[in-house]
Amino acid sequence: MRLITHNMLSCNIKGVTNGFPLRIEAGNVIKKEVDFNPDFIRHMFAKLEWKALVEGARSMGYAELPEDSPDAAVLESDESFLKKLHHALLELHLEEGALVCPETGRKFPVNKGIPNMLLHEDEV
Amino acid sequence: MILDVLRSIRTSSSSSTTTTTGGRIILQSFGFYSVSTSKMRDIKVKSDSRELITSSDEEEEAAAQIIESVSIREKEISSSSLSVKSTPEIEKKYVHRVYDAIAPHFSSTRFAKWPKVAAFLESLPCGSVILDAGCGNGKYLGLNPSCFFIGCDISHPLIKICSDKGQEVLVADAVNLPYREDFGDAAISIAVLHHLSTESRRKKAIEELVRVVKPGGFVLITVWAAEQEDTSLLTKWTPLSAKYVEEWVGPGSPMNSPRVRNNPFFSLESIPETEVSTKEQKADNSPFIGLESIPESEESTRELKETKASIVEQKEESLEALKKSQQEYFVPWHLPYHRAEVSGASASALATGLAKKDDRKGAVVYNRYYHVFSEGELERLASRVGNAMIVDRFYDKSNWCIVLQKAALNQD
Repeated sequence: MRLITHNMLSCNIKGVTNGFPLRIEAGNVIKKEVDFNPDFIRHMFAKLEWKALVEGARSMGYAELPEDSPDAAVLESDESFLKKLHHALLELHLEEGALVCPETGRKFPVNKGIPNMLLHEDEV
Repeated sequence: MILDVLRSIRTSSSSSTTTTTGGRIILQSFGFYSVSTSKMRDIKVKSDSRELITSSDEEEEAAAQIIESVSIREKEISSSSLSVKSTPEIEKKYVHRVYDAIAPHFSSTRFAKWPKVAAFLESLPCGSVILDAGCGNGKYLGLNPSCFFIGCDISHPLIKICSDKGQEVLVADAVNLPYREDFGDAAISIAVLHHLSTESRRKKAIEELVRVVKPGGFVLITVWAAEQEDTSLLTKWTPLSAKYVEEWVGPGSPMNSPRVRNNPFFSLESIPETEVSTKEQKADNSPFIGLESIPESEESTRELKETKASIVEQKEESLEALKKSQQEYFVPWHLPYHRAEVSGASASALATGLAKKDDRKGAVVYNRYYHVFSEGELERLASRVGNAMIVDRFYDKSNWCIVLQKAALNQD
């Protein structure tokens, strides 16, 4: 699971109103290189919940992202920032671990890089 | 409604006075509404559809059985508080377990990219995030290299196949996507919704697709059509009977569907109150012959023969109508023995009767549940989703397809 996906994932248990972001319990994180595409990264930026990304990256062992969401100028011209964002979003993989609902504490397992977000009968 | 109809038949037949030969009920095997009686007969049609003609002796029994089975269902429906997001048994057994068992074989047969889907994906702007709900073996993930795809499917074995190809995927339920809203630039649902067994679940899945894309984002949905181009295919499918209705749960079950509620032949008007000649009955152009009570009193032998002939004719018409109206099917999947051995799932599937062996074909035969869509059905369903508009609709290669666009922010 990459952080780009984590930034979208939310706990959908019945009645939960505060299911985002899921807290990451990182067991095994690996890095896989992906070609850098600055335009894609700029496009992604608008979708992101910045705090969730920073916290998620930290959980996966990457602390290079600024705490505060950068402004447009940075996005436009600062390539080193864009590369950090690229690295965080696309190159870090949670292979083993869990995603934890902030409201209920429910753990969604991640195995071989695949999160299992299926709910049990009583959660639906 | 159907209860009222059946009770009226029962009342009228029990109030018949003298004759024993009069009064027959033709029960149309209307898709899955057929009911087993002791006189169930296989009709010589290629499909497995069953239809019943009961003699006057058993008409009351038949009617009673229908009433009973319907009232059980109605009780289940009214007392059922199961969420639309709960998976009904029929889907657990005949969708989830099947795909889990056949995943690698299934994947090996799913490689041809459908041009219309490819065109849709290629039309999306560079850098789009595309969500594929029910991605199967990931055939479309990464099809447009300038976009980022996130796929999900309820089948872990299929997701594993995607993951092995380096795709970004997760295991999730299309009726309850674990995504926050407005994230995706576009979403696709290719040959997925026809595996959902109730209308409310199918509608929910469409709502989910719309929910997870951004305002102004596009959603492409394709489903199998009832109107198949290759009609010989239909002979290999098993239309479902009431036996499987037991497995269907919750509101939106077939007994409660608009198709039943709005169907004129289930209404009281279709029962002739007075003596109607057989000729008049034949003249009725409605394809849904269904529950007609042939008048009982004073039928002569000649009229009886005419009645029989017209019954046969009506039966053929109703079978035609059945074929047209039939939308619930089991579609077989033949898993070759050598493939089945690899997956341990087949041993237990055979043991529990979920699958059968076909030695002649050297394959384990599984059945997949399908609700195939009739013309306009997908559109009607999608048009009930509030914040999206249909922007394209087409029929292609035996599939009904639509493209929706989610309402932009400053509209509602």
